[in-house]
Amino acid sequence: MKKHPLSNLDGEIQDHIGRETADNIARGMTPADARHAALRKFGNVTLAEERARAVWIPVWLDQLRQDVRYGLRTLARNPGFTTVAILTLALGIGLTTAVFSVMNAVLLRPLPYADGERLVLVRETFRGIGNASVGHFHDWTEHSTVFEHTAAGQGTTFNLAGEGDPERVRGMRVTAGYFQVAHIPPAAGRYFTPEDFEADGRVVVLSHSLWQSRFGGDQAIVGRQIRLGGESFSVIGVAPAAYALTDPARAGVVGGFSSQLWTPLIFTPKERANFGSHYLGVSAKLKPGVSLARAQEDLERVTRGIAERYPQEMESRGVLVQSLQEQLVGNVRAQLLVLAAAVGFVLLIGCVNIAGLLIARATTRRREIAIRASLGGGQSRIVRQLLTESAVLALAGGLAGIVVARLTIDFLVNSGPETVPRLREAGLQFEVLLFALAVSGLAAILFGLAPAIRAARVDLQGSLRDGGKTSLKGGGRDRVRTAMVVAEIATTVVLLIGTGLLLRSAEKLRQVPLGFNPHQVLTARLALPAARYPDDASVTEAYRRVLDPLRGTPGVGSAGASSHVPLVSASADASTIAEGKVYPPGSEPSPMIRLVTDDYFEAIGMPMASGRSLQATDVAPGARPVVVINQRLAATLWPGEQAVGKRLSTWYGRDNPEWREVIGVIRDARSSGQSTPVPMELFLPYTQAPVGAWNAFQRSMVLVVRASENWPETYVPVMRRAVRDVDASIPLYEVRTMENVFVAVTAPRRFYLRLVLMLAGTGLALAMLGIYGVIAYFVTQRTPEIGLRLAMGAARLEVVRMVIGQAIRMALIGIVIGGPAALMLTGVMSTLLYEVEPTDPMTFVAVAALLVLTTLLASLIPSAKAARVDPLVALRHE
Amino acid sequence: MSTKDRLELLQGTLDLLILRTLQLGPAHGHAIAKAIEQSSEDVLRVEQGSLYPALHRLIKRGWITFEEGASENNRKAKFYRLTAKGRKQLDVETSNWDRLAHAIGRVLRPV
Repeated sequence: MKKHPLSNLDGEIQDHIGRETADNIARGMTPADARHAALRKFGNVTLAEERARAVWIPVWLDQLRQDVRYGLRTLARNPGFTTVAILTLALGIGLTTAVFSVMNAVLLRPLPYADGERLVLVRETFRGIGNASVGHFHDWTEHSTVFEHTAAGQGTTFNLAGEGDPERVRGMRVTAGYFQVAHIPPAAGRYFTPEDFEADGRVVVLSHSLWQSRFGGDQAIVGRQIRLGGESFSVIGVAPAAYALTDPARAGVVGGFSSQLWTPLIFTPKERANFGSHYLGVSAKLKPGVSLARAQEDLERVTRGIAERYPQEMESRGVLVQSLQEQLVGNVRAQLLVLAAAVGFVLLIGCVNIAGLLIARATTRRREIAIRASLGGGQSRIVRQLLTESAVLALAGGLAGIVVARLTIDFLVNSGPETVPRLREAGLQFEVLLFALAVSGLAAILFGLAPAIRAARVDLQGSLRDGGKTSLKGGGRDRVRTAMVVAEIATTVVLLIGTGLLLRSAEKLRQVPLGFNPHQVLTARLALPAARYPDDASVTEAYRRVLDPLRGTPGVGSAGASSHVPLVSASADASTIAEGKVYPPGSEPSPMIRLVTDDYFEAIGMPMASGRSLQATDVAPGARPVVVINQRLAATLWPGEQAVGKRLSTWYGRDNPEWREVIGVIRDARSSGQSTPVPMELFLPYTQAPVGAWNAFQRSMVLVVRASENWPETYVPVMRRAVRDVDASIPLYEVRTMENVFVAVTAPRRFYLRLVLMLAGTGLALAMLGIYGVIAYFVTQRTPEIGLRLAMGAARLEVVRMVIGQAIRMALIGIVIGGPAALMLTGVMSTLLYEVEPTDPMTFVAVAALLVLTTLLASLIPSAKAARVDPLVALRHE
Repeated sequence: MSTKDRLELLQGTLDLLILRTLQLGPAHGHAIAKAIEQSSEDVLRVEQGSLYPALHRLIKRGWITFEEGASENNRKAKFYRLTAKGRKQLDVETSNWDRLAHAIGRVLRPV
């Protein structure tokens, strides 16, 4: 292949000169003279090379090439500075890129479903947002005009047996359109067709993870039979892995699990006419071009039609259409934005530090720059040269930053909370790398522009004469560096205030009393299959037989069970009325209903506020109907009155009340977590479950064992044995201590806080370095002046005061600028704060104090150095 | 004449001289420079440095090309030679130059 004509041009020219030299020697010149004459005859070698190159390469490009080489050489000559700068940049660019990568995966990229932006959730509204009834779903599907497909689903857990231990898996029963609404081509087999719904519906679609974990990714899985809940189902397909990340079942449910399998949901004609029980999650795909507003209008029209036919049931009930993507990511958006801002600030502070270092270096490079300027560089050429140097540095920092980004992304993906959807997708995709490049460029301008312009404006004569050693007149460059540090401090103030607010908020949250005692408690869930436990009596008998041996175990303080346990996802609610009171339609309170055994409250550590707890007599057959409620429900049903002894009716509606006596009121507990308000709770003895309640709860209860001796985990085998002895085919799942649940629920919050704290710490450290740098620089520049003062009799302490005074002055100006800036910016954080105002004065004051302290620390060494100046030495160097 | 014009004239002339030199056979850079000097009886002393930009211009225009070869003392060197296009261009330029010289001559020494 033909080489480029420019290859080895300098070699060719050297040959030429060599030949001419040889000729000259042949003409009788001495070797030295021969070479000298040859060089003179040739002329300017560099110029010849440049002009030859200019034939092929545009001048600007060639100059760029020169500048880059020069920049690399300069950076190599100053390894100390270069290392510090690259490390700082790597940190700033790397962290910023990592956060962007997460934002890209979670917020910016479209959903993996076909036409993901057209996917919506349709919810019923009733003093909040909730599930839909079967009747609603059918009316919406049949009468609305805006949907291409609709689907409804019910979250269920299944007992999966055969080919391994029985396992409890979460799944969904869904209508035919489910996989058409949220569509990704199947990994194997096919999805549901209408025919599957006409037969007995014993078909199932597996999730990718279940297919891998339980069936080993077997290619022949399609057509195989598996046993669900004791019945045989045929596997017709496998959903791809991407489903797990954005399962509409998870939308809006914090800590919701993604489904492991899907089976058909078939409605009887009676169910289709039921508008009263609300348990379906409805999703739909809008027709192309239909806006959310138009869909909302249309559905309101249809819902009004329903209200006309069922006025009582539909009182205060409405409909809400929500974008699926919005629901998935809406609650993490604020957190990610705050994180992005924090990282941006750290990068900014880092860049200002580097700019300061460059300005300091420019002082020592004045001679070199002056020479280049006098050789005809021209000011703009020099600025371009220096900017190119900065760009090379920024690029190097950017490349190192990509390594930092990779490590950070891996860390975030592996340790990040489960509640952030699509977090696993964060990586170094093309757009993320492009972002890293852009940030590097921005950084180059941020730290390179000002020093480049300043350096180019050089006093030629003065610089050449004294070699750039003496100090400047002080004024110009000092002001710029001071302004830079003030800007750094102001940025740090904003960063620290944001962090401080989050910290205070977390502390406030931590102090919220739970209302129950999570220590020394072991929990485990089990569910009884309908086939073997068809009636209420068999269910309660089974649970009683499981609990008996547990209560007899030494070391167990108390053992009970409940259909739902605090901090685990919410349950069914039902309207409840107090005896003798009148309720306008739609205004009945709707507390959470729980089925509990005796000894449950003791086991979970919920103290009574008044009355008594459930006892063995209350759960015996034939006992009179009783109920325990919490303080909030008591205050709602009988405000200002004593609730114990009064009667209420729940579940059945106002038309056929079944009165139960309130025997006890327990203290309010944060059953849904510390950051949500206390719900209204109603506890029914498990032997007095209303009709259909066990079905609604899927015959599932959580066993709760309080250990009076040893760690609670020691009782796991006892629990398992107790269940096995009653029914060996029922798996025990979600076995964990209450403390672990609590830790897991608060884990996302703590993780986020740790991230923000790390960033704030990094920003503060960098700012401290910046302050140190500029104060040290001042001391060096002012050494002659200090020497003079000392020689004239000033006390060393005065010198120290002068230096520290200057530092504090800078800090104060920075605080004065940063404070109001923070006031303006922290407003966006209000959704993340718990009982803390974005303008919390304590935080502002604390941050100001911290910064003053940091400034003092940073100026310790330079001021000590100033105090130790030897006047004689200082003056001699003048 | 401005410096630019002089430069351009020089460039154009230099190009012509190079082409003419190469018409006699391929040569490397130093040899071309020597040939120009010698055949012009040292009247034309071109700054040897400007030879190389000129050579590259000619390569870019496709009038000459280059290849690696061995020089007299068996050292590796880059040899330049005329292309067919270059040969044609040489004829054109030579006849132009002749016409120009003739015309100027007629002006200076009217017959």
